[in-house]
Amino acid sequence: MTADLSPTPIKSTSPGMRLLKQILRNRSAQFGGILLILLVFFSYAAPLITDKDPNKNKPSVALQAPSLEYPMGTDNVGRDNFTRFLYGGQLSLRIGLTGITLGALIGIALGLISGYFGGWLDSFISWFTDVLMAFPDILLALAIIAILGPGINNAMLAIGIAFVPSFMRLTRSSVLALREMTYIEAAKALGSSDARILVRHILPNSIRTLLVLITLGIGSSILAGAALNFLGLGAEPPTAEWGAMLNAGMKFVRQAWWLTVFPGLGIFLAVLSINLIGDAVSDAVAGTSIVAMQDKK
Amino acid sequence: MFNYLVRRLFTSILVLFGISVLVFSVIHLVPGDVTMAILGRQKVSEEKVAELRAQLGLNDPLYVQYGRYISNALQGDLGKSIRTNQSVSEAIAEQLPSTFALAISALSVALAIGGILGLFAALRHGTWFDTLVMGISVSGLSIPTFWMGLLLILFFSVRLKLFPSISNGSSFADLFLPALTLGLPEAAVVARMVRASMLDVLNKEYITTARAKGMPERLVILKHALRNALIPVVTFVGLQMAYLLGGATIVETMFARQGIGRLAVQSIYSRDYPMVQGVVLITAAIYVLINTLTDITYVLLNPKIRLK
Repeated sequence: MTADLSPTPIKSTSPGMRLLKQILRNRSAQFGGILLILLVFFSYAAPLITDKDPNKNKPSVALQAPSLEYPMGTDNVGRDNFTRFLYGGQLSLRIGLTGITLGALIGIALGLISGYFGGWLDSFISWFTDVLMAFPDILLALAIIAILGPGINNAMLAIGIAFVPSFMRLTRSSVLALREMTYIEAAKALGSSDARILVRHILPNSIRTLLVLITLGIGSSILAGAALNFLGLGAEPPTAEWGAMLNAGMKFVRQAWWLTVFPGLGIFLAVLSINLIGDAVSDAVAGTSIVAMQDKK
Repeated sequence: MFNYLVRRLFTSILVLFGISVLVFSVIHLVPGDVTMAILGRQKVSEEKVAELRAQLGLNDPLYVQYGRYISNALQGDLGKSIRTNQSVSEAIAEQLPSTFALAISALSVALAIGGILGLFAALRHGTWFDTLVMGISVSGLSIPTFWMGLLLILFFSVRLKLFPSISNGSSFADLFLPALTLGLPEAAVVARMVRASMLDVLNKEYITTARAKGMPERLVILKHALRNALIPVVTFVGLQMAYLLGGATIVETMFARQGIGRLAVQSIYSRDYPMVQGVVLITAAIYVLINTLTDITYVLLNPKIRLK
C-alpha cells in the first residue's frame, strides 16, 4: 500500500468490505481463489468444453492411456475419463457445499438458542453436541448413513449433521460473550424481541468468528463427501463423482493409473484452494491458524 | 484436583450415556420397518419376519429394549450379527488389534516426521525452509487420505514393487504403506502445531535468560524450549486419535486390511445393524476414554492447573 498523506475525508467502508480487501491482498488467498474459480468454471462449463457423454460406454476404447482424444484416458468400459472428471467435479463440489450449509444452518441456530437462553435448554443442547462430538470424524457420518441408507442426498445430510457440533459450540461461545454487552442490554431495554436481538445484533457480530470455520469447513466437507463416496456409500454407479471414480479406478490401479490419479487430484486441488483462502480468512479475522481451529473442534 | 477428577469423570459418563442412547436408536430410526430394510424386498414368510423381530427384541416397549441393550452391553454382550450369527463383541475383539497397530504406527509416523519438520521450521523461522515446510503442511491438510494411499501404492507397490498393496498383518512391510497413508497428512498438522508452539516458547524470557547465562544453544533448545513446547502437543495427540480411528475406515478399506473401520463399512453395506451398532459404540467409547485420560494427564502435567 502506498501511503496517501493528503487529508481525504474518511471513507465509510463497511467492516465486511475491509475484511474482504484484506483477504484479497493475501498472496495465498489469491492463488487459492484463482484455483477455485478455475475448478468451478471447468466443472460447470463441462457441456461447453466436451461434447462427450460422461456415462456413455464405448468398449472398443476401454482402458486407453491419456491421449489428445482422451486427455485423461478412458476407463474399463471406454468412458472418457476427462468428461467424467469435469462432471464429477460438479457433484463433488455440490455435495461439499450442501453438507457444510446444512451443518452451519443447524449448528448456528442451535448455538444461538443455547447461548442466548441458557438454562436447561443450553445444558441439553450442549450435552447433545458433546455426545455427537464423541463420534470420531467420519464415524458419525457412517452411523447416519447406516440409518438412512447410502445415496447422495443421505451423504450430504450425514456430512451436515457431522458439522453441527463445531458450529454450535463456536456460535454458543460467541453468544455468551456478546450477551453481556451493553448494546444488547440497550436493545432489550428498548423492547426488542429475543428473535430480533439474536438475528439483528448477535448474529452479525458472531459472523467474523464463524467465517473461518465456514471457509475451512467447505474444504473438510468436500473431503468428507469424497471419502463417503470412496467408501461406496454415496453416488450410485454410473454417476460420476471424484471419490466414487477413485474407488472404481482402484480395481485397475496396476493397469490404469489415470483412473485414480486425476479424480484424486481434483479433490486435492479443490480442498487446497479452499484451505489457502481459509488461512487468509483466519489471518484477517484474528490471526488464528488452521491448527487453532482444529483445537476448538 | 479431586473435585476436577470427579467432575471430569461425571461428564464422561453422561456423554457415554448419550452415546449408548444414540447407538441404541440406530435401529429404530431406520425409515420404515427395519426388518424390511434387513431382509430386502424379497418375499419372506410372516414367520421369518416375526423371528427377526424377536431376535432383535423389537416387540418390547422401548425402555425395556434400551434397558436390556445397556445391561447386556455392560456385560460385554453386544448381540449377534444378523448375517454371520457371530457374536458382535467377539468380531470386534478380533479386529481391534489390527486397527490399534495401524493407529499407533500412523501416530508415530506423524509425530516423528511432523515433529522434526515443525522443530526445524521454527528454528529457521522466516527462511525458505520454514516457507517450504508450511507449504507442504497446507498441502498435507488438503490431501484426501485415500489419494495419499493411492499415490503411495502407485509408487512403492506398482512402480518399485517394494511393499504389498494389500496388507493384512502387523509386520513392518505390512504396516508401512497403511501407516504412511494415515500418518503423513497428520504429520502436516503436527508440524504446524510444533512450529507454532516452539515459536511461542522461543520468545519467552527464560529462553533469553538461558542464552544470556551462556548456555550452549543446543541445550537451550533441548532442555528448555522443546520440553515446554511439547506440552500442548500432548493434548493434541489425544484429540488426534479421533482422526486416526475415523481415517482407519478408509485406509483399511483401501488396503483390504482387517480392522474395525472396515468392519463398520462392510456392516453398513450388508445392513447388519447389531454389528454397526457395536462398532460405533465401541469406537466412540474408546474415543471418550482417550479424551478423558488426555484431559486428566494434561492437568497432571500442568502445575498451573494442578495446584488450583
